[in-house]
Amino acid sequence: MAQTVSEALEVLSDQDAGAVIVAGATWVMRAQVRHAPIPRMFVALSNIPELGFIEINRLEISIGSLVTHDVLSKALLNLPALRALRQAAACSANPGVRQIATIGGNICAEDFAAADLVAAALCLDATVELHRTNGTQTVALADYLELRTHRRTAEILTRIIIPMSDKCSAHARLTMRKAGDYPVVIVSVSAARCSDNTLRDVRIAVGSVEATARRWTSLESALEGQLLDPAAIQSLAATHIADFTPREAAGAPGWYRIQVLPYVLHSACVDLRGQLEGNVA
Amino acid sequence: MTVNLTLNGEIRTFFGDPRTSLLDVLRETFRLTGTKPVCREGFCGACVVHIDGLAVPSCLRPIGLLQGASVTTIEGLAQVDALNALQLAFKDQDVVQCGMCFPGMVMTLSKFQETNPTPSRAEIKAAMIGNICRCTGYERIVDAVLSMQSRENAQ
Amino acid sequence: MNTDARHPAVMDYPRRDASDKLQGRTRYTADLGGLETLHAVLVRAEVASARILRVDVTRARAMPGVRAIAIAHDGPGLHGIGIADQPIFAGSVIRHHGEPIVAIAADTLVQAQAAAREVLIDTEPMRAVLTMAEALAPGAQLIHPDWASYEVLKEGAERGGNIAWEASVQRGDTKSAFARPDVVVVEGTYEVGRQSHVPFEPRAVIASFEDGRYHIQTSTQVPWTVRAVTSKVLGIAPSMVRVTVPSVGGGFGLKFDCTLEPYAAILARKSGRTVSLVNSREEEQMTCLCRENAQIRIRSAVTASGEIVAREAEVLMDCGAYGGEQVFLTTMTAHTLMGNYRLGSVRLTTKAVYTNTPPNGAFRACNGVYNTFALERHTDEICGSIRMDPLEFRRRNVVGDGSLGATGQVFQGDVLRPMLDRLVQMRPAKDPAVPDGLLYGRATTVGTWFVFVGPSTATVNLNADGSATLVTAGVEIGSGTMMQSLPQIVAAELGIHPSAVIVKSADTDASGRDMGVGGGRTTVSIGAASAAACAEVRAKLLASASELLQTEPAKLVLTGGRVEIMGRPGSGTSIQKVIQHAEMVTGPISGSGSFTAPGVAALPGCAAGHFIDAIDIPVFAVHECELTVHPATGHVTILAYRVVQDVGRALNPRAIRSQVQGGVVQGLGYALHEEITINTKGSFDQRGFESYLLPLAEDVVPVEVDLFEGAPSLGPLGTKGAGEVPILNVGAAVACAVANAIGKPVAQLPLTPPRVLALLTGRLMPQAATAV
Repeated sequence: MAQTVSEALEVLSDQDAGAVIVAGATWVMRAQVRHAPIPRMFVALSNIPELGFIEINRLEISIGSLVTHDVLSKALLNLPALRALRQAAACSANPGVRQIATIGGNICAEDFAAADLVAAALCLDATVELHRTNGTQTVALADYLELRTHRRTAEILTRIIIPMSDKCSAHARLTMRKAGDYPVVIVSVSAARCSDNTLRDVRIAVGSVEATARRWTSLESALEGQLLDPAAIQSLAATHIADFTPREAAGAPGWYRIQVLPYVLHSACVDLRGQLEGNVA
Repeated sequence: MTVNLTLNGEIRTFFGDPRTSLLDVLRETFRLTGTKPVCREGFCGACVVHIDGLAVPSCLRPIGLLQGASVTTIEGLAQVDALNALQLAFKDQDVVQCGMCFPGMVMTLSKFQETNPTPSRAEIKAAMIGNICRCTGYERIVDAVLSMQSRENAQ
Repeated sequence: MNTDARHPAVMDYPRRDASDKLQGRTRYTADLGGLETLHAVLVRAEVASARILRVDVTRARAMPGVRAIAIAHDGPGLHGIGIADQPIFAGSVIRHHGEPIVAIAADTLVQAQAAAREVLIDTEPMRAVLTMAEALAPGAQLIHPDWASYEVLKEGAERGGNIAWEASVQRGDTKSAFARPDVVVVEGTYEVGRQSHVPFEPRAVIASFEDGRYHIQTSTQVPWTVRAVTSKVLGIAPSMVRVTVPSVGGGFGLKFDCTLEPYAAILARKSGRTVSLVNSREEEQMTCLCRENAQIRIRSAVTASGEIVAREAEVLMDCGAYGGEQVFLTTMTAHTLMGNYRLGSVRLTTKAVYTNTPPNGAFRACNGVYNTFALERHTDEICGSIRMDPLEFRRRNVVGDGSLGATGQVFQGDVLRPMLDRLVQMRPAKDPAVPDGLLYGRATTVGTWFVFVGPSTATVNLNADGSATLVTAGVEIGSGTMMQSLPQIVAAELGIHPSAVIVKSADTDASGRDMGVGGGRTTVSIGAASAAACAEVRAKLLASASELLQTEPAKLVLTGGRVEIMGRPGSGTSIQKVIQHAEMVTGPISGSGSFTAPGVAALPGCAAGHFIDAIDIPVFAVHECELTVHPATGHVTILAYRVVQDVGRALNPRAIRSQVQGGVVQGLGYALHEEITINTKGSFDQRGFESYLLPLAEDVVPVEVDLFEGAPSLGPLGTKGAGEVPILNVGAAVACAVANAIGKPVAQLPLTPPRVLALLTGRLMPQAATAV
């Protein structure tokens, strides 16, 4: 139970301790069920108050890594630009888990392909603040995700920072049931509000299709300047589908993820269009 | 490691591995077996308890994080030999079957009703996403929750 | 409270165990193992097929806290149904992933698990036969090379090689019927995967060895089977085993077999301590005695007017590595696949096939669920071929009064046809609103189930305070039978309130032999035995009251806890006074009763290898489902679900409706999401709730229920079992409605979004290993 970030880093730096950081602990507590080794030591961050704060100013929103899904979804109620993140926080897992699972845990659980908040934060150009014994660094979330499995040095993700904008964003996911299971496809989209109903500054993030969520950059470029027409975007997405090498799971074959991905994007675009029509008219 | 917490209104102390789940501490150390271990992954909700006012699955809470916390289990929800209004509705409308999911169902929905006393059918169902029942097919449970509103309205 | 004035037994009597269950006070078997008990684990095979060269437990025995270890020679006997083919421990051969090899009891569960990791097992791998197709291929490796030497517990079935059991039916000449020039021949092949019961309380047992006998407390539906199997594998007399049953946290058929009990018994004797053995969720899932995967091939010859002149079918049921329940369940096909429609002639074979996979078992409406699915899809395809309205076809062809069943039994009463009419009356005047772009489908299906009647006994002791104690081998598994229908029956017979009837839960030292709780038989068989016991109590009570009241017994009635003179309310006396009188004159009043199947006749020579040639109490069901299919994702959404269920007589209508709601939802799981698939290692892909998807609250709808009363039944007060059957036609109704929605044939369950999307787009789904 660390009282400060540096105290946590100290424990973490001791390689022999076999310690891991726990935030909400919802992932690590299932280690045994996943047949993963149970870490010898948990370093708890929940006594570090600043990690539980959300700070909002004119330029950015800074979310402490220990903020739970439930707290996050309520805090974002009046921030339309961050709608994707709010939707992701409000719909993932189930009500009980949303009260304990954190945004930091969602980002740092490297085996967890179906993390809703990761895709949402990606489409909002999030950066993350990392504390190491030799200093603090801020990196783009996309870069962090790429490198997180290769981390060697002790580090703690303390904050997620999202720039404020007047963009619109939306989050869509497809579960096998109505809800309650991990989505087979997650799509988060953001775009600038343009009076001519064209798309500018488009970000599309795709989760759960591959092991790690990532941006769909080829489609983003192709959509730049196009009309926000969900059906047309769905068709266009199908032509870019080869960008993905989908993961396989019992009951959720890769071909299915690929086949429904354009439709899930369509759903997100329908939401986006609704916001734009409501706000731009 | 030693963890002090308030359990059903009493200060209790746990000595042992801080990685142990609250679920196991409740059942094994304190022999409070009303909290049920079913999936141990946060999907089923059979082990839901109230921790500092939140209804959460106890299987996912390591006891080491709960120093100073206040925990209420199904055994401590109401006075001995008394049922709360929700439990009474479930009993009167005969919705219980095997009963394994009901402690968690009661803990989740009791807390839910505090913030949403007049929920719609859809809201009740959304609140139950993390509470699985293998026997009842859910709808009678939802009916019982809804019936509490009509009873209150009638009064 | 009475909802029906016709009989005092009919009421919506609430269950008495609800308060404790709602307060978390109920102690299920899995809750009983405190600090005073040892905790046991099983070391299980991690391969599907291998020879065991050596099992070394030396290091495990030296681990801290270890109190006892058991291996194959501690429980050498073979058990089974029909054939004794199953050991409790793999000794020289591993036949399936998860097969127990060693059992360890230690002071704590953690110590037992640590010791389990120290067990050394040397094996030599053998080829694993994982599918029925491989098992039945010419030259296939035999899973039981010694099959011919096994003890046969029931004679008369074909068996051999990888076929554990074969049941067959031949009535009439199907060959010439298929050759008739005026018939259309329709053929279909259907497949289903395995379904896991997922009772929330896993299988669990606590055993001790007391005064030279084993005492087994267990979460079971079949205390007498546990007693029989435990004694058989231990090689001891059944009377050396006492089985008692605490509250059972769900069964659904999974607990219709003896599984964990013998290990705990052996460890209890070896350690001299009380031993608790509880499956972890993963073990419970990975060794679930699932509803079996099956393949059904049907072929029918039908005239243009819709007469079915001949039907042939072959049903392959995967029994896994040991015969188990599937041997018995081969019997069911004659009644579940061939008991719905009038058939001119019948030829049928049902085979239980060995594979190197975890054994299967019984699951609510076992065998019937997938046969009903296959039959009703086949029926709709027949209707398509002869261009007849599916409802009209069913109206014309369902069995009715005097119809001949597959094995030649004669059905009594028109039941299914009026039930179909009742269902149509339930439909709303307006069609449902279907959102744009979604595909809409509706289907109406019929199903036939039957109550396993079989032997039961009951004793009723009348207590001095006017209450009665009912002693039976019944078990409360959640369905409410022990809480509702049985006390209601006894109370009505004795003129007291159900709350004055104490129901003792199963104890093989107190009750007589019984087949167990399953198949919807409790209300019927134990109910009938209880009613018979009450008849004796009544006679004694009235004889005693007759002396007190100076009135002949025939003019006395039992009502409201009193004995009254007929037609003169208030003229009699309280039951307590009569009991007091009896105690002085003849002694305390008690009665016992028993019941067994009367045995309905089949045509001689029709059926071979069957455990039940004809069904004593048929139970019929009509289901209708309305749904939409999402063309882009393959998601199926249920819009409405209607059930007309033949209940004989509804003793507790509210409780039956709850059973229907719960059973239909389990069926929706089977129809849409729940599937166990077997990987190349021979183990299940779905280890827990992340991948085994149970229906959640948002996935279901309130089921509209109409209880059909008055069909003939030999059950007490005309009852039939009501809890088993609600799941029967759900797979069928959903599959037929999906087929109607997408305009393509559906031949496989469950209809997961990927499977439906594959059907919609014409994509071939790669087959799971379980598929034939």
